[in-house]
Amino acid sequence: MSVTPQVPEIENASMEDRLYTVKYDDPGESHLDVKVQRICSDSCETSDCVSICPADVWRREDGEVPTIAYENCLECSSCRFACPYDNVSWEYPKTGSGVTYKHG
Amino acid sequence: MTDQQLADGAQLLDERAGDAALEAPNYDNDFDVIIVGAGLAGTAAALTLANRGLEPLLIERGTYPGAKNVFGGVLYTPTIRELTDLDSAPLERYIAEKRFSMLSHDDETAVSLKPGAWNREPHNDSYTVLRGDFDRWFAEQAVEAGATLVTETTVTGVVREGGGIVGVQTDRPDGEIRAPYVVLAEGANSLVSEGANLKETESRKNIAVAAKEVLEFPGNDTAIEDRFRLVGDAGVSYHYFGEGAVGEAYGGGFIYTNGDTVSVGVAYSLDDAATKRQSPESTLNLFKSHPAVAPLLRGARTVEYSAKTIPEGGAESMPDLVHDGAVIVGDAAGLVLNNGVHLEGTNMAVESGYYAGSAIAEAAQKGQTGAEALESYPDRLENSFVVQNLERYAWLQERVEEDRELLFEQLPRAIADASTEYFRMDRSPKATHANAAKQRVFDTLGGWTGAMKLALRYRKLVK
Repeated sequence: MSVTPQVPEIENASMEDRLYTVKYDDPGESHLDVKVQRICSDSCETSDCVSICPADVWRREDGEVPTIAYENCLECSSCRFACPYDNVSWEYPKTGSGVTYKHG
Repeated sequence: MTDQQLADGAQLLDERAGDAALEAPNYDNDFDVIIVGAGLAGTAAALTLANRGLEPLLIERGTYPGAKNVFGGVLYTPTIRELTDLDSAPLERYIAEKRFSMLSHDDETAVSLKPGAWNREPHNDSYTVLRGDFDRWFAEQAVEAGATLVTETTVTGVVREGGGIVGVQTDRPDGEIRAPYVVLAEGANSLVSEGANLKETESRKNIAVAAKEVLEFPGNDTAIEDRFRLVGDAGVSYHYFGEGAVGEAYGGGFIYTNGDTVSVGVAYSLDDAATKRQSPESTLNLFKSHPAVAPLLRGARTVEYSAKTIPEGGAESMPDLVHDGAVIVGDAAGLVLNNGVHLEGTNMAVESGYYAGSAIAEAAQKGQTGAEALESYPDRLENSFVVQNLERYAWLQERVEEDRELLFEQLPRAIADASTEYFRMDRSPKATHANAAKQRVFDTLGGWTGAMKLALRYRKLVK
């Protein structure tokens, strides 16, 4: 009889594999941006956009303006609500493009 | 959508605007009502209006209704049943069991509810659905009732005249469309309503972020029935709270059984996600790996990963629902109730769409478009379960927020420890175990005084 609890290993898919499960039609240009770059480079110390993004869209080195991998975006809009400086510009991706969920 | 309906739609476009129809649909004043967003709220409004003989235009930015929609998993259907026949609806499973579970680091304490009545029609009007299937079906019902659906069209703003809203601007070339009424059903990320100054951007304290996966069990056809102890179309909704579910954040985890898949996810305060540096993906991984959760999911494969924001500001943060020529419904109006015990929103969306549609139909009969002519929408909503429930639970949200460390961390741990004490197998008498168990809980609550204080704080819950 085993004495250790049997917790099965859950094989979590990588972010790449996760994002691969949704259909994404590239609109050709980003629907996300920062409104004022200076706010990111001069004022922001917390990178909340990076912490909260469920799809690793936002990436940032300390004190830098974030790079935005908009082609990963799941259109949840968390970044828009999370930015303490209200510095995220968010548009709907161009008609017919962006994410499509099969199940939702 | 049937091929015939699509063909009819295309023909309609051609007739109205010539060859360039698909590029620039000229719908100006062809419709009685423009509805922005073919989710549940928008479609419920469209169906209500079409049922009353009006001509609504339903505009959806996705390639089909539901293409961009995400939710936890249970749809409550009493109002939908009123609006249309549910027989052909793509329902996954009915809810036969609700389970509420507290997870501390490696303990689980759970309560399970399995009323026999839920196994009988109409199954308490509670079904798991997948939005990609359900929303498309629901919009089809609206089209069959007479609504016109246009997809792959994004509304970018409203058109105003003399202060009132008289139409919308779309991203199609020449994409201005006018109609006497506009229903804004654009969801939590309501850029059009905000752009038109009809509501303010919600504070992040009132927003939850959710990450969800749909999982299947390759090579194991009976995994769902076996693991969740289900027969036939029966299904479950499992709700999880505590640090094992969402770490230090305020929120919870969930598992819902679909036909051949399960939906697994976490939803928690966006403010916590930011300040506690808890990414949705890692929180989801943590939840899935908990010793109480992992055995239910072992061997599963991710077939879809999705994310969403949920407006949880409640009654206090509802915007004005009625404007000259326009109403706001569903998530855009903040109509979500998520207090841990009740997790509702889609039913509130349908209800608001229904009342909004009814109010517009009545105003249209009198030929009036002013806000005062549409007041029966908020009036009826306020007297319905929607606003009454939001108001009833507003204080609970506040209390729970104040007590969250006690409720979500200390108490679950104390209860788990107490159970461990109470059922401890050794050679001492049961009374010793019982006392030790009681002591664990009392220490956490601050003795009798603390327990009484807590009971008083939450007494309204049972009123």
